[in-house]
Amino acid sequence: MIGQLAAAFAGTVAFGFLFGIPSKYFGHCGLCGAVAWGVYVLPFWGSDVIAVFAATVMLTFLSRLLAVRKRCPVTVFLIAGLIPLVPGVGLYWTFYYLVTGQMEQMSVTGLAAVKSACAIVLAIVLVFEIPQKFFRRLFYQKI
Amino acid sequence: MEEREGKNTAKTVIENPEFRDWAGEKKREEYERQVLETALRAGQILLGNGAEIFRVEETIFRICRHYGVTSVNTFVLTNGIFLSAGNGREPYYSTVRHIPAWVTRLDKITEVNQLSREIEDHDYSIEEVSGRLDEIEAMEGRKKLAQIAVAGTACACFSFLFGGGPGDMAADFLTGLILYGFLLYGCGGLSKITGNLLCGGLITVCCIAFYHAGLGQNLRPLVMGAILPLVPGMSFTNAIRDLADGDYISGAVRMLDAVLVFMSVGAGTGAVFLIYHHLLGGVLL
Repeated sequence: MIGQLAAAFAGTVAFGFLFGIPSKYFGHCGLCGAVAWGVYVLPFWGSDVIAVFAATVMLTFLSRLLAVRKRCPVTVFLIAGLIPLVPGVGLYWTFYYLVTGQMEQMSVTGLAAVKSACAIVLAIVLVFEIPQKFFRRLFYQKI
Repeated sequence: MEEREGKNTAKTVIENPEFRDWAGEKKREEYERQVLETALRAGQILLGNGAEIFRVEETIFRICRHYGVTSVNTFVLTNGIFLSAGNGREPYYSTVRHIPAWVTRLDKITEVNQLSREIEDHDYSIEEVSGRLDEIEAMEGRKKLAQIAVAGTACACFSFLFGGGPGDMAADFLTGLILYGFLLYGCGGLSKITGNLLCGGLITVCCIAFYHAGLGQNLRPLVMGAILPLVPGMSFTNAIRDLADGDYISGAVRMLDAVLVFMSVGAGTGAVFLIYHHLLGGVLL
């Protein structure tokens, strides 16, 4: 578990580096990735879609919090943290099965990929409905 | 908002006594043009480096409003900015900028964002803002060799997350190095689809080679870790953000971009696996 979190942290920071995130935000960026992955692998979600949804809600919330606190665009934390959750890997397997002619596998994987994509979309849209004021207030009360 | 009104910042052009006579009129036109050009350039940097549509629009509005041009209207798509200004009291001005391709350089976005915040707090002249934008535009990216090394590390980390062992991590590190080297030096002039097709094929060839050399044990996490640098994270995330904001055209275009990238990577990988299966009798995953 600790190893997984460390790998998620390092991997997210590495992606942040490739995306040109300023180096002062590397720690926060890695934290986002590690938290997202940690939530995703919690054992009690039951289904992959719900796990992805919960992880994305957590990630988006944390990103917005950090964005308000650090006064920088929320994209900085969101994009890199979302990389391991992006259903791209599932989508990629779908096309792979399509090319190699494994149709049953394709429909199963494709459906799962579309479902988790919808979960991510919903999670991000929902968390962005929370007004910016809420995060500002949260931040000023804490500090 | 309210407290800013008191300061000298919101000096509307009309109230400025310098612009009252005919020569002043010309001067004012020149000044407004400069404001609009600068705002447009800020928007251009944002859009070209992977910002969301509403951030581009908001930044343009903010800069224009702060320097007293209130009649500005924008229409921003993923690959173009349409801007026009003018009404009975302000001269007419209109321009279109085409932004053919976008890259992910979040540092530039952060800097422009910072600048647009500072404009509200400090009293920059429009020339100063323009100079700052020049600096931001000229900002160097990270060193290519460092990027390649980091991409290898990222691949190794994620192959571990997807269930790979130490051998897989080592193999993925090498694959990541090769892949990113190819991305930075090899496929400059290729279209996005061909480039990703080739990258997908290259990854698979490397993974199969390392697998047969005995370095990696599990082909699946090996391939999954290695394709992550190709994941269009920026397109996908921004597509969702744009859709959520109601910018459906831009959101749909970006989503299409993300899907296309995955389609070509998947097709490249699948093709190599098919050849591997038929010629060498290897397993399909």
